[in-house]
Amino acid sequence: MGCSQHIDATSVTEAISILQSQGDKAVLVAGGTDLVGMLNNRLISPETLVNIKTIPGMDYIREYSGGLRIGALTRIRDIETSAIIREYFPVLAEAAVSVGSPQIRRMGTLGGNFCQEVRCWYYRRSPATGKTFTCYRKGGNVCYATSGDNRYHSVIGGKKCFAACPSDMAVALASLHAHATLAGASGTRSVPVEDFFIPLGNILKPGEMLTEVSIPALKPGSRQKFLKFRHRKTIDFALCSVASVLEVEAGVVADASLVLGGVAPFPYRAKAAEQVLKGQPLTEDLASEAGAAALRAARPLSLNAYKVTIGRVLVKRAILGVDM
Amino acid sequence: MSGKVTRLVLTVDGQKYEVVARPDATLAAVLREDIGLTGTKVMCEGGECGSCTVLIDGNPVLSCLTLAVECQGRYIETIEGLADPISGELHPLQKEFVERSGMQCGICTPGMLMTAKALLAENPDPSEDDVRQALAGNLCRCGNYKRITECVLAAAKTMRGGER
Ligand SMILES: Cc1cc2nc3c(=O)[nH]c(=O)nc-3n(C[C@@H](O)[C@@H](O)[C@H](O)COP(=O)(O)OP(=O)(O)OC[C@H]3O[C@@H](n4cnc5c(N)ncnc54)[C@H](O)[C@@H]3O)c2cc1C
Ligand code: FES
Ligand code: FES
Repeated sequence: MGCSQHIDATSVTEAISILQSQGDKAVLVAGGTDLVGMLNNRLISPETLVNIKTIPGMDYIREYSGGLRIGALTRIRDIETSAIIREYFPVLAEAAVSVGSPQIRRMGTLGGNFCQEVRCWYYRRSPATGKTFTCYRKGGNVCYATSGDNRYHSVIGGKKCFAACPSDMAVALASLHAHATLAGASGTRSVPVEDFFIPLGNILKPGEMLTEVSIPALKPGSRQKFLKFRHRKTIDFALCSVASVLEVEAGVVADASLVLGGVAPFPYRAKAAEQVLKGQPLTEDLASEAGAAALRAARPLSLNAYKVTIGRVLVKRAILGVDM
Repeated sequence: MSGKVTRLVLTVDGQKYEVVARPDATLAAVLREDIGLTGTKVMCEGGECGSCTVLIDGNPVLSCLTLAVECQGRYIETIEGLADPISGELHPLQKEFVERSGMQCGICTPGMLMTAKALLAENPDPSEDDVRQALAGNLCRCGNYKRITECVLAAAKTMRGGER
């Protein structure tokens, strides 16, 4: 037992075959900003560390017929500073610059951002402190947040586990209708970004990894905005965030994509709010109405109803394109 | 703690060190505990404070979240290598931190200096806002941010040759 080897993978096939032969004894290491923290806190104790940064050709931002393909090993900082992304997909650049700190963005990758573990303080409690909460995620049968301190947990869509999805990139990419490509031994599959996340983690099967995220072409001139509410502006996860992509023609909303973060175990697509907007003249009242609709499904826990209030306002501001 | 150990060769501040470490050992732990370079500080071990920042191939990186085995063949710079190795003369950033009281307790200082060094290599003439953005991942629990920013701006000026 204990960690016994570190392998520099040289291909996706190699990384997958190690995952398949070793099961949950092996973990992938990308930028390490989440994983090494988990190791330091003794929350996981893998036998094999598989470094995927050594796989060539997985760090790219590439245009294809108006859309974009982004490799899983692309650093958050490269997304934040990409001229193409700033110009055509500003909602993604705004989400990227909001991630962690400058150091985290230089180290952290897109794939790791999607696959990072939740920040629930019961789940993350280090056994080195002498106390462990064996919750659903750890194979137990209780979510300590439901009866405990749940101020940072989900208000929508919690099922067993109420931890909120921590990924800012996924929220922006879902608003752009992006797909994630997953590679396994039997080939690859592609899923909409919002379907990648499920209440107890993600849909990766044992022996699968994320290789790419692709954004379809957008009609030029869409209005995009990412807003993120957090305690500390310099470095913090979202208490609530919104990514909005609107097509407005002659003052009327032709199409709308609205996704919320920090409120659910997955990037939450506010379909009811999208419906409120579609076909209507874009006014401040309409934006308020969409804000209310976006959070209508919320069922707050004892300490997090404030997220509903913040979410309504953020949705309204994102639609109107104003800053926080 | 169990687990196998491996032999690593790391280049730190221009010097080669051979150490024996577990595959999951962090660079921060190896620098401090195996090599004995304790200038690099560790406050949170979780990426939140930036006090463990070192440069790898010129990039500011959190050594508490970096696996030591992955640093072989890379150029690692720590606070111990910031002053001139021969004359011992302090780096302009260090001089300003001394002269303008850039530190109070000093725990955040090595990380601040290394992050600032990387900034000035990329941008020799930063605005105050550039400095604040670059240091956003470095927590100063003494709240000395204003002076730290002034020190970096003053050092930048000296390094540009004193103009402006
Ligand atoms: C202080 C701090 C603040 C942060 N703030 C934010 C924030 O504001 N917003 C935010 O979104 N995130 C935040 N993060 C999370 C940060 O870890 C991610 O943003 C980062 O992008 C993770 O990428 P990584 O490459 O470092 O992942 P790693 O730590 O290397 O990996 C994370 C997990 O993903 C798995 N993994 C990695 N790549 C793949 C892949 N290609 N396929 C399958 N599995 C994979 C690993 O096995 C591991 O389980 C923060 C982290 C810290 C420490
Ligand atoms: S000790 Fe590394 S970031 Fe705090
Ligand atoms: S001087 Fe004390 S932490 Fe910054």
